[in-house]
Amino acid sequence: MAQARLDIANLRVTYAGNGQAGVTAIEKVDLTLEPNDFVSLIGPSGCGKSTLFNVIAGLQIPESGAVALDGGSIVGRPGCVAYMMQRDLLLPWRTVLENVTLGPELAGQPLARARDTAMTLLHRFGLEGFENAYPAALSGGMRQRAALLRTILCERSVILLDEPLGALDALTRASMHEWLLGIQREFQRTMILITHDPDEAVYLSDRVYVASPRPMRIAGIVPIELPRDRGRDVTLTPEFAEHKRQVLALLHAPERARSAAA
Amino acid sequence: MSRRNASLHPGSRTKDVAAPVLLMLLILAAWEALVRIFAVPTFVVPAPSEILAQIYLERAMIFGHLQVTLFEIVAGYLLACVVGFGLSVAIVYSKAFRRGVLPLIVAAQTIPVIAIAPILVIWFGYNDVPRIIITALVAFFPLTVSFVTGLESLESELINFFRSLNANGLQIFLKLRLPAALPNIFAGLKVATTLAVIGATISEWVGASAGLGYLMAQDTQQINTARVFASLVVLGTVGILFFAFIGLLQRFFMPWVYGRPRFLARPRRASPAAATMRAKQIGTSAR
Repeated sequence: MAQARLDIANLRVTYAGNGQAGVTAIEKVDLTLEPNDFVSLIGPSGCGKSTLFNVIAGLQIPESGAVALDGGSIVGRPGCVAYMMQRDLLLPWRTVLENVTLGPELAGQPLARARDTAMTLLHRFGLEGFENAYPAALSGGMRQRAALLRTILCERSVILLDEPLGALDALTRASMHEWLLGIQREFQRTMILITHDPDEAVYLSDRVYVASPRPMRIAGIVPIELPRDRGRDVTLTPEFAEHKRQVLALLHAPERARSAAA
Repeated sequence: MSRRNASLHPGSRTKDVAAPVLLMLLILAAWEALVRIFAVPTFVVPAPSEILAQIYLERAMIFGHLQVTLFEIVAGYLLACVVGFGLSVAIVYSKAFRRGVLPLIVAAQTIPVIAIAPILVIWFGYNDVPRIIITALVAFFPLTVSFVTGLESLESELINFFRSLNANGLQIFLKLRLPAALPNIFAGLKVATTLAVIGATISEWVGASAGLGYLMAQDTQQINTARVFASLVVLGTVGILFFAFIGLLQRFFMPWVYGRPRFLARPRRASPAAATMRAKQIGTSAR
């Protein structure tokens, strides 16, 4: 088999504590993504999911373990994967067009080309006619779509999504799910999504990694055996419910173990 | 009729300007009346009409001295901006500099500038340089403080985001810190305008032979109160215009807050109000 797109092996991350012993945030995490995979990482708040993303993005150095993109190590090398953070982080002083072309601009690529690409994609991202508007004029959903367009325009094969839809209301979220899935298929990116929402995880993913808290470990992997072309109504099927049940069972396993011991 | 029209447009520029002008006229009228009714001697308090007459009669002298002071104001202000900006960048980027130099700057602020003016004259001679330095000394501190506040106003998330895009330090400064600091930078620049006017005026009380501050000191000694007031009014007007000018610059450099200046508006763009309306509609239909 060809080498994986993204391969994380035996990762361990510790924060320097006040004393000699640091705090372990991530322990023995393995994660493998094939090209065009959509994988979700679900787990309780503060379990170290964002830390994992910071390590993949090259912003934080792990204590041990490997992170490889297409076979090459990207530990401590920012800019190799695209990273969309929890908040949209649009720059208020830039127009939508200037915001979404930030990646190519910082990489020193020709701006004219990036702008042309952006202009042709605005429609697909529901931002047509807003290229010269400032972010303050956009609705919450539009801001997230602009942030995702900016991430796509970074032209990286792997995209990290840290709860990108967390701040949206339920209805906007639901419509964004279908749209996001379409974008992932269309632009052929490998995506990892951090989420707190089991429905979101099952609906969007090829596999769901369930994380256990402090230090973060992978408690289990749920392969989602739903058709890759799935519409919204798939969420009402018994198969969907069964997958969600598996995810929830893994999520609540530590609690059950604790209450069993008591 | 015209008043009714003005009230139809709340928040219009006419109304914004009308209120302070009206208040000013009321105060001036009361002042004029009181001076006349109680026959206050001119050398104690001159009537507004008399001050205006002085400005007109002595215009050659007043505006001659104004040129000198204006140069000191602008030169001192620019010096304060350059020094303040350099200091603030050093303070933001170097912990050692912040710990070592910031306390010294704060301590230096407690020394009355007027007390070190003669020393500056001894060092730099009997010319514009000490006066420009004094003007800058009065203006630079609040400027530096607001520059530092602005450059530090960033959330760490944004810096992380820029780092994830592999941005270098210069890019983070120019494309992130600086634009994010603009509101605070302009707040500092505005405060500093009035301080520069004050600084230039008092700088002329020591070792000067021209300028409105010098003229006021002379006229005070000769109890030429009407001309002191005349100089004051001219200086005050300069201060207001200077402040307004920086306000204009702010509008120009921060279009995302104030809207684009009309002559820069892009042809294909809808008005911001219409864009917001459409954004709301699209937002609703997406739900």
